[in-house]
This record gives sequence, structure tokens and C-alpha cells, in this order.
Amino acid sequence: MTDDTGALGALLLADARLPTGGHAHSATLEGATAAGLTADRVGEYVRARLATTARTEAAAAVLALRAAGAAPAGAPIDYGPVQAAVAARTPSRPLREASAGLGRGLARLARRIAPDAPAVAALDTAAAATPGLRPLRPVVLGALGAVLGLTEGQTARAVLYDDAQTVTAAALKLHPGDPLTAVRWVLDAAPDIEESVRRATAVRGPRDLPAGSAPLIDAWAGAHAHATRRLFVA
Amino acid sequence: MGDAGAALVAVRRAGGRTHPHRLETGRFLRPRVMHRPDGPLRVALASVRASLCAGDDLRLRVDVGPGAELDLVDPNGTVAYNARGGSAAWSAHVTLGAGARMTWREPSFVVGGGADVLRSVEVDLAAGAELLWREALVLGRSGERGGALRSLTRVELAGAELHVEDLDLRSAADRERPGVLGPARVLAQVALYGRVPPGPPDPARLDLAGPGALWRSVTDRSHRADAVLDPVWRAWGGR
Repeated sequence: MTDDTGALGALLLADARLPTGGHAHSATLEGATAAGLTADRVGEYVRARLATTARTEAAAAVLALRAAGAAPAGAPIDYGPVQAAVAARTPSRPLREASAGLGRGLARLARRIAPDAPAVAALDTAAAATPGLRPLRPVVLGALGAVLGLTEGQTARAVLYDDAQTVTAAALKLHPGDPLTAVRWVLDAAPDIEESVRRATAVRGPRDLPAGSAPLIDAWAGAHAHATRRLFVA
Repeated sequence: MGDAGAALVAVRRAGGRTHPHRLETGRFLRPRVMHRPDGPLRVALASVRASLCAGDDLRLRVDVGPGAELDLVDPNGTVAYNARGGSAAWSAHVTLGAGARMTWREPSFVVGGGADVLRSVEVDLAAGAELLWREALVLGRSGERGGALRSLTRVELAGAELHVEDLDLRSAADRERPGVLGPARVLAQVALYGRVPPGPPDPARLDLAGPGALWRSVTDRSHRADAVLDPVWRAWGGR
């Protein structure tokens, strides 16, 4: 890796054109829509996620970034504690599997751009902590953040922005409408994003990982996993 | 346990049976043994006084020794009243020794209009222990929108986190957002920790990453949740 990639890396990680499979996900908007969510409520759905599941992911990415950076030279990096903490805060199996699927695409990218980086090589420690579950998206994002030289704030904001944009991009397919309106939803959520950036970067350790719950998101994800006609994976 | 004001239910296994070891009345709850011809030891929590009002701090400690079996029932449930600017706390700390089994049924935890409650449930399971738990959080008595509730759950199995949740329903606007509770007023669940329950996958069933599962009902009426959860409770070993 070259130096001075932090600012560019933050843009890369937030770019939907990143070839890691994010386009196949709706952040459970498809399940929400099947349950009756209407287009005028999508902005509120974005905000609900930012205060709950997306905040957990952002803080987990910060912890993974720290785990990658805090290990002294030569000492092993261990993503196990943060991976296990995310898993314990994600009661829905379809949502854990969606996160692991996204993690897989990101891990492929990480292995291509920095195959020898200890932060990337250590990704196996995440899966070891949760048998049957590959490294989850926020853990791999934290590792990528470490490789690219992102700050904690950049890492957290990339996770939160990506969550919001995943919803809005899916909304354009599920609730066809004016794409400019979707930009408004994201901008309107700016205070929510920044609040969750603050909470995520203030996290002290895996035990302290935010665990904000959104019961209907879990329910919608469960129903979506059982649906026969689907546009999005999750 | 040296926890002044807390109600204590401690049971131990000896001579092939589970016996009450220490039952201590707290400021709010009085544990008493319910005699019945067979089945595991059953302890009911009777109310000492109407709870919860502003400034109240209800604490419950449950300690089930290795290999012991306990059915804990709370026949009355809990109602949090208008705190008129104050707040109340309700906490339970449950410890199960190796191979212990417990069922715990809370009929309802009602957060009335104007109430402001911090609810906390902490569970420590030793290896091989298993807890079947049923709770029903209800926002408002009938016709009310309900008060503020923050409900924390932390369940650890052999020292590792199994389920951690921070359900923040303090702001009516936030909790009514799509994805949280929407227009629902009742969040009820059956949770089994320490064992994977039988039965096929279902949209309402949440299989945890570790051994355990939740079955949830998010609805507008308690009886609708009961209709969903009664069969789950029985199928997962509830009595």
C-alpha cells in the first residue's frame, strides 16, 4: 500500500460502485416494503436504522480499526471480540448472514489491495470467534479502514453513509420516484449520522458496543428471508 | 448477596430435588413457594406494594444452583405509573449454575402514560444451563400512548455474550419510526437461552448466533401476542 490513502479510501468505501456486492442489498427496505412501508416513510426508516443497527455497525468498525492498529508490531491482531459482540447484538440469522455476505465481498477486496497487511491476514480471527459465521461487514470494513489509513470518524461515517445510501438506492427500485428526493433523505439524516459517528467513536470496547434494537427490522428481515419473490438478497 | 431492598430467590439442588435456599422479601416483591404435587420447584413473586412510581428502584435477584430447576412466576406483572417528571428503575439479575434450568414468566410490564422506566435484565448462565423466559412489554394502559421505557438485556453463557440488546423506547417519535415499533404498543417474546429450541425456521423466530432463540410478537394488543406465544412457550418447554 502507498501512504496518504486515507481521504481517498473514505470515498472509496462509501462508493456504491465499489465491486463488493452491496448493490444486491436493500438494508431490509424490501422486507419493510412488503410489510407496507410507503415511499413517504423511507426517510424515517433511514433515521431509525442510523440510531440502531447502523450505529452498532459503525462502532464495531471503529473497534476493528482499533484492533488492527493497536496491536504492537509482531503481536497478533484479534478481531474475535468485536465479531462476537456484533453477533450477540444481531439476533436475526438472515441479518447476520447478509452481513457476512457483504463482509466476504469486502474481504476479497482487502486481500487484493493489501494481501500482506497484518490487518487483512488477521480476518480469520473473526470467523474463529463465531463458528459458522464468516467475518461480518463492520469487522472487514474496520480492517480495510486500517489498511487505507482512515480515521475512526471516517470509518464510522462510511458505514453510516453506506447504510443510508443502501436504503435510498433500493428505494428507487422498490418505490420508483424522483432520485433527487432520495438525496434529500440522506441530507436530512445528517444530524443522525453525525450523532452516531460521535457515539461510534466514543465506544470503549466490545462489551460497550451499542446494541440499539429495532424489532421490526428483525421481523421484516425474517419474513424477507422466507419470501419467494425477491429483488434483493436482504 | 448484600443487596438491600432486593428480593432474592436462591434455590439449590440436594438429594435429587431442588429446595429453596434463601427467599428474601424485597421492598417490592415477596417470593413464596407454590406447593404442587409434582414438577420442579415453583416460586411466585407477590407484590408488597403497588409499583412502580417515581423514585422506585425494584431489584430482583435469582440464583439457581448447579443442576437445580426452578419455575419462577410473576402472577401480577408490573405497572409503571405516571412519574410526573421523575423516573423509576426495575432490574433483575439471574444466575444459573452449571446444568441448571429455569423458566421465568412475566405476564406483562406495562409502562403507563407519563412513566419513565429503566428496565434491566442481566442473565449469567454457566455451561449447560438453560433459561426459558417470557416477557411482554406494553406501552400504555388501554387508550394510552404509554410512557418512556428503556429496556436493557444482557445474557452471557459461560462468560461470553449470547444476547445483548438496548431497546430504547424513551421517545415516542423515535420508537414509532418504521423498523423500531411503528404503531405497535406491545413487544412480547419467548426467549430460550442455552439451548437451540426444536422446530423449523419461521419468520418470527430469531435464532441467535450462539445456542438460543427468540420468538417475537410486535403487535397492538396483548392478547394477540399471547395467541402467538402460548404455543411457542409450550413447544420450547414452558410449563
